[in-house]
Amino acid sequence: MTKLMQWLAAVGLFMSIWLAIVLDMISLNIPDSKKEILHALPVYILIVFACYSLALIGYRVATFNDCVEESRELKEEIQEAKKELTEKGYKFD
Amino acid sequence: MATGTDQAVGWGLVSFAGFVFTYYTIWVILLPFVDEGQSIHKFFPPRFYAIAAPLIAGVIGLILIAVFVAVILSASQKKKKS
Repeated sequence: MTKLMQWLAAVGLFMSIWLAIVLDMISLNIPDSKKEILHALPVYILIVFACYSLALIGYRVATFNDCVEESRELKEEIQEAKKELTEKGYKFD
Repeated sequence: MATGTDQAVGWGLVSFAGFVFTYYTIWVILLPFVDEGQSIHKFFPPRFYAIAAPLIAGVIGLILIAVFVAVILSASQKKKKS
């Protein structure tokens, strides 16, 4: 089961339960004044997900880091590899 | 390191998302529990727009993405021919 199938299954399950309640197949005796919350629920969840994604992107942008140590290590390894290859007779341009 | 602009933009995005979340939650989830005629209702548009606006925005967004993809694809098609 891929991640996509999991998400589709979860969304399908939620939507079928939601539809069943909205279409009165399951009667929960919700007063009419509170039904408008129920009707807006899928759009509300979508908006909440959008807000979460936006906030996460913003947070990652604000706390973006340089990897100084890793960059130094990588440069060292490149030098090492170059040295070994020159010893074995490879010519760099 | 993230520069000053990066941080400003990043925290701006975070606070914008937080504001939208708070406003929309109060509008959609909490407002039905508040009596009609309370002054808090003045700060929110009619309830119809709570569902209509995101849907319309979503449809427009999808159309824009589709147009963008179509333009990109046709441009790359032309390049191949010439």
